[in-house]
Formats: sequence, structure tokens, C-alpha cells
Amino acid sequence: MAWLQTEVLIIGGGVLGAAVARELSRYRVEAALLEREPDLGWGSTKANMCIVCQGADALEFRPEYKRSRLVWESIPMMEPLCRELGVPFKRIGELTLIRNNEERAKYQKLKTRAEKVGFTGLRFVGRDELFAMEPHVSREAVGALYNPDIAVVDPVRLTIALAESARRNGVEVHLETEVLGIERSGEEFLVETNRGEVRCRFIVNAAGVYVDRVARFLNADEFVLYPVKGFIGILDKDLGHLVSHEIHMRPEAPGEMNIVVPSVYGNLFFGVVLRLGRKGDNSTTKEMADTALRNLRKVLPGVSEGDVIHTFAGFMMFRNWELGWHECVVEASRKVPRFVNVSIGYPGVSAAPATAKEVLRLLEKEGLRLQEDPSFEPRLEAPPSFVDLPPEEQQSLIERDPRYGHVVCRCETVTEGEIVEAIRRGANTLDGVKFRTRAGMGRCQGGYCTPRVIKILARELGIPETEVTKKGKGSELLPLRSKELLG
Amino acid sequence: MRLQGVDVAVIGAGPAGMAAAIRAKEAGAQRVLLVERQEELGGLLHQCIHNGFGLLYFGEDLTGPEYAKRFIDRVYDLGVETLLETTVLEISPERGIRVINKGGLQSFRPKAVVLAMGCRERTRDQLGIPGGRPAGIFTAGTAQRLVNVEGLLPGRRVVILGSGDVGMIMARRLTLEGARVEAVVEILPYVGGLIRNEVQCLHDFDIPLLLEHTVTEVHGERHLEGVTVAKVDPHRRPIPGTEIQIECDTLLLSVGLIPENELSRRAGVELDPLTGGPTVDQWRETTVPGVFAGGNVLHVHDLVDNCSWEAELAAEGAVRFAKGERTEGREICLRPGRNVRYVVPQRIRGEGPVTLFLRVREMEEGMRVRVGDLWQKRFRVVKPSEQIKVELSPKDLRRLPDGVAEIRVECEVAG
Repeated sequence: MAWLQTEVLIIGGGVLGAAVARELSRYRVEAALLEREPDLGWGSTKANMCIVCQGADALEFRPEYKRSRLVWESIPMMEPLCRELGVPFKRIGELTLIRNNEERAKYQKLKTRAEKVGFTGLRFVGRDELFAMEPHVSREAVGALYNPDIAVVDPVRLTIALAESARRNGVEVHLETEVLGIERSGEEFLVETNRGEVRCRFIVNAAGVYVDRVARFLNADEFVLYPVKGFIGILDKDLGHLVSHEIHMRPEAPGEMNIVVPSVYGNLFFGVVLRLGRKGDNSTTKEMADTALRNLRKVLPGVSEGDVIHTFAGFMMFRNWELGWHECVVEASRKVPRFVNVSIGYPGVSAAPATAKEVLRLLEKEGLRLQEDPSFEPRLEAPPSFVDLPPEEQQSLIERDPRYGHVVCRCETVTEGEIVEAIRRGANTLDGVKFRTRAGMGRCQGGYCTPRVIKILARELGIPETEVTKKGKGSELLPLRSKELLG
Repeated sequence: MRLQGVDVAVIGAGPAGMAAAIRAKEAGAQRVLLVERQEELGGLLHQCIHNGFGLLYFGEDLTGPEYAKRFIDRVYDLGVETLLETTVLEISPERGIRVINKGGLQSFRPKAVVLAMGCRERTRDQLGIPGGRPAGIFTAGTAQRLVNVEGLLPGRRVVILGSGDVGMIMARRLTLEGARVEAVVEILPYVGGLIRNEVQCLHDFDIPLLLEHTVTEVHGERHLEGVTVAKVDPHRRPIPGTEIQIECDTLLLSVGLIPENELSRRAGVELDPLTGGPTVDQWRETTVPGVFAGGNVLHVHDLVDNCSWEAELAAEGAVRFAKGERTEGREICLRPGRNVRYVVPQRIRGEGPVTLFLRVREMEEGMRVRVGDLWQKRFRVVKPSEQIKVELSPKDLRRLPDGVAEIRVECEVAG
């Protein structure tokens, strides 16, 4: 007997899979989402600069390319979506620095292209206006192209909220469930997972970095994708005041983007250094770190190594890496009916809302009947973020639950109440708590709160502390009890 | 608890904060309030189950918890008011303090404040060690708490980067727990902590010490599997070709401590980039009137005894301030000169006595440390890991000629 029987199976709990799940939950359709990690959004989604942009590359404002169109259609959808789901969203605007006439000409072309497709928001700012807007950026700049539409979000929280909303509207969400093989049997797919067999009629393959591997189970990999590793760094919050817009500087070398951007929480992100990589190897290298820092200093000359509180690397899948631009894969397989491949690669978060709608169109074409569900509830109550509340609300929260009066993460002021709530909503690892609550994301990088969060996790999950992991099986943080090795 | 009408509020109840609260009470403050975020008084002392505490302060060799106990008893005997499991959210430039605990939010304004928040550890990211993001990497102090307080072990095979005191003590601790410490790796040509710890923690347990080496990469995606260690050149850069791989499941970092001044900064206190702590005068008063600081929040000490001792100085200043006494007189700057990394206090105002602490930048032999023309002493060897304490009497200060605005503190080759 099948472990799970459903109409539509979504493979992958990144931002795209979660967005598709949430979109499907508007209709009377049986659907389930599988994610192999212990929490949502842990692949490309979390290794992200959190920018909601129009692509910021050679394909920007070229509607003849699907990716360009999906990103661009998503822009106006993102803010209402975040508001519905209670996800942090902040419109900050983007300044692309201009240092010489060549750059000016290049960005003039971009602006013309944007206007041609009806996007009239771009404008040039002169030196004085630029430095009034951003007094700390390099004096090499003589002006900038200003795009007021650019925003930042929290991609992991967006993904979790999308999946949570989908779940509340009837989609099954299964974590720590890995797809090991897929076969066809008449009108059905038989999907082998570590939990058992799943039977379904439609598959949405949104497996992120492994989208090609999943497609290959059915020879539905009618595309070649290159895994490109991106390196990103995060600066201390104390430097958060240095810029208030996304700052973009033309990179020196191919395989680099030179961006500095304030996150919704006030840290600055910098990067991205891109290199072809081996999937699964999310390690950073000194070369990438040095390059990113060198680029950063071109934008913000005063910043030093000691200001970096965290660095990480993640993958995105590029369709034609060697050309320096790439198109996405959002298409139904030509060989396998009722099988849709979804990979944006970059910028997946920005493109997610429109991509989900596109996937539903593709599913419909493949024969899925979509009938609106009148009981669909679009709104989701966000978990309380204590530090962002006004004092009177903080006070009443503590009166309701005193654990909100216990600060566990001092750097980001995260309370025990928030951690317990995150665990109640599905966090079951140290990283899960971190991405949901920010505990451990501050300048001490968990030095203070790690022992405390481990204790809370063990208590709330009802497991021994020795079984608490950083990010799932095989990452046990404290596998032994003291004196255990002494026999 | 009614928080209005507090004379001296002490933030943090570690070895510095407890000593400050006690001294404030002894010096005649009516209401002294000690605010601590943990469940009990004592701060990090509870996890320091080794000995070596109290040699200066009590003339006895105590463990951390024993040292703490003496202060805790005195805190309660003297009637210091305590606010446990309470986090200070903010100190305003007008000394307005906002706290949070399970009872809710509260604000109050004491007559004087002593900052005693201690320090935190430098992290992997501040060193920029590349590699994956596996489980198994901890700062030494966090590991110390996990092992000694929570009774949990991070692994069986351990590499420790940095030979700070906590790192060396953890090397011994984990060896005693049955783990194998593969190496203590130190980028400098000498250990970062006290000699006594090098001898008692490393040599006595045959733990390999790799000087002039560093960790250049960590391996493993889910759990740590090993580290790459390389020799460094005199500029502390890894030398290509010298890399060795060490298999391990645990990496502890003991690579420096940073005074914890998030609250101070928001209060508008001026910080010294050389110490990471506030700039102060000899009473340890910061640039915000009525806000004093002592212990590791001010600058990182080698010995807990000095943290307690310095915080008492701050408490005396705080009590005088609370009573409305103000120090008058011209201000003289103390400036670090040759091979001096920092000097605390950074300024002197009015009459002495003055106790100053300084640290050198580099290890040197046959040196003389000099505080202007007021004080000098010969040292066979000076090391960054060994703080130098200097006492200047009121008489010494009176020898200063009129109009002197600055005293240079130098470490010179002894003639």
C-alpha cells in the first residue's frame, strides 16, 4: 500500500515548491509537498541576498525571455503576498553606481529598454544626490541609476509562511522525506521515498539544485543545468547605517556581482562571488572570501575583515553559465506527460509568485482540473517577533506567556517564547530555530544562546540533548554525555 | 521589586559585577541593585571548575565556583538587591535603564551605574576560516559551559585553535573526559594564555602544541570531519605546501575575547578601539557622567582577581557620584607609546591614586616599562599575554609639572 496518495506531488520545499503548493491550495486539489531537509527553504533559498529585484543582469527587461517576464511580473505581487503572510518586506530601492561614461552608456541602454516595456520607474541621479542618499559609498562614483522598486524580504520566512499557508489550506507537507526514484505506472507516478511509496498523477519537480537529478529518474531532464556556487558575506549590524539602498557596482570580472544590501533586519549583505562548483559542497574558500571583501571595499572603502560576522555559500542552477546569462526552466516535460520542471536558478525568490501561477497554467494544460476552493484563507498570522513590537504589546505578550520575558539570544533579542513558538510550528534543529527566529544570527554567532537553545529544543521535542542536531541527522551537536568516554 | 530610588545599579553579576555591588554597599550606598540575565549570580565562574582563582584576592587557590560563592554570600549578607533572569535592553545617555524579565518590562534611573557585562568570544567568522558549515565547531567558552555545566561532550577527537587560557583549560578538560586532543594550534610563536596554563594544561597531559600554525580550512558538510592546518610565515600568512590534514569531530576556538559593549555604545559611552571597552578615568568613569565600568567589559584581564578588584574601583567612583561628589581638576591623557597596545585608564583627572593596566603588543626581552617620568620598572621579558599593573600614588602624581596634558606609556629596551 502506498504511504501517500495524492493528485499533485511537489518535490522540493524551497521558495518555488512552497509557492506552487500555496497557489495550488487555492483550488480543490489534493496536493502534497516533500522536502528532504528537516525544515523548509534550506537549499538555494537560504543562500540568498534577500533581494526582490528585476534580475539585475543582461536579461533584465527583456520580456521575450521567460525568466525576465516571471521576475518582472512577480515584482508587484511580492509586497501584498508578504503582507498576507506576515513576512518582513521592505522597499529600499537600488542604486547602480556609475563611475565613467562607459558605465553611463550601458545603464542608459538598460533604462531605455525598461521604458520600452513600460517600466518608467528608473532615473539617473547625479553625484550630489547620490551622496545625499548614500554618504558612505565610494567617491569614485559620479552618479547612479536609481530603481525605486527594489525591495528586500526574508526568503526563508517567506518559504515557511507559503508552506504553512498551503498546509492550513489542505496541502500535505512532509519534511525529511527524500525522493529516491520515480516510475510510471499507467496514469500514475510511483515515487519511492525514504518513508515509503507515493502515488500521484502530477509531479512538480522543484528540487532546486537537484532538479536535474529528479528529472533524470524519468528521463525528463530535457535541459542542462550548471551548479554555480555563490559566496555571500554578512556585516555586523553596527555597520547597518552605512547604506540604506541596495548598492550595485559593475563587477570587475565575470563570475562576480558586486552588491551591498541592507537586510530587513539591518545587517548588510555583500557579494556575490560566483564559481562553478560541485553540488553538495557548500564550503566557502579563501579566494571567494578575499574577492568578495575586495569588491565590497570598492563600494564601501572603510570596511574591514573584522566587520564580517558570517559568510556562507550556496548553489543556484544556471542554464547557460558560459554565456554569462541564463534562462530558467519552467516547463512541462515534452517526454513525460503531467511532469513539470521548475528551476529559476537566479533570482528564484523574486520570481516565485509569478512562477507559481505559471506552473499552475502548465499543470492545467497537462490536464489538471482546477476548481477554486471558496474556503481558501489567504491570511496567515505571523509568529510574534518580540523585538519589533511596541512596548505595550511586549508587556501584554509577557503577561500572557512569561517566556516572552526571557531573552535567550542577546545579540538579536530573541525570547524563549519565540523559540518555543518556532518549535511548535515545526523547527526541530538549531538551524531551524535560527532561521525562524534569528537566535544565533547576531555578532556572537550563537556563542551565548547555543547551549540554551539546545536545552529548549530537547525539552520541547521531548528528546535527550545528545540527539539535538544542527541541521538534521548526522549533525548531532553534543553526541556524548560527560564521562561517557571514560567507560 | 520597586526599582525607583536605586543609588547604584550594577549590570552583570560575574566576578566584576558582584565585587562592584559589594563594594558599593560597603562604601555607603543605600540601595544597590545587581542585574543578572542568568538564573544565578556568578556569571562565567560556574563553568570555570578548575583552580587558580583568588590567589591575588584571597591569597588562596580556589576554583571558579568557590570564588563565586564567597562573593555570592557577601552580596546577600550585605543586602544587595538582586534582579535575576533579567536582561537589560537599554541604557540611555541619561542613565535610564530598561529591563525585561518574566514579570514584564520595567524602567528606572539609578543615581549611578557600573557596567560589568564582561566579554564574549571571537568567532570563526571573524577569523574568516573557510570551509563548510558543519556541526562540531564551538568557541572554547561555549564548549566549557556545555561540558562543565550541562554535562555534554561535543566529540571524541578535538583540535583547538588558539592557545588562550580557555582553550588550554578545555584541552585538559576534554582529555580528562576521555576525548583525544589532537593538537592545540597557535598562530603566534608563543602561547596566548598564561604560562601556568601551558605547563599544567598542555605539557602535563602531553597535548601537542603547534606554534606558528593555523587552521586554514574546515571539512565536512553536516558534521566536522577534519581540519587543514598550515604553518605560517612571520606575517602570519599560511605557507603553501605546509598543509597537514587532521581528522577530528570537534574544533574549539580560543582566539580572543571582546569586551561586550552593546549597551555601552547605545548609552553613548566612548569606546577605545585599542581595548574594545569604554575610555575611562582612574575611577573607571566613562565619558557618560555617572556611568562607570570595570572588569572584562572595560578590557580583557588575565586574572579574575583583577576583574573584581577593578570593578571595586568603579563602584567606589559610582558611590561618590551617587552622593553628589564630583572630581574636579585638569585632565591628563595616558597614551600608549612604543610596544604598548593599550593603557587603562585612558585619562587621569584630579588627584591620585591611579591603578593602571597595560598590555604590550609584541614579546620582547630585556625591557623597561615607563609611565612618563612617574614610574618605571625593568622586565626580563614582556608578553602580550601578561598584563602589567602599575600603581601610582597621589605623591607620584603631584610630581607632574603644571600644564602637562599627556603622559606616554612606553616599553623600551633597558639600557
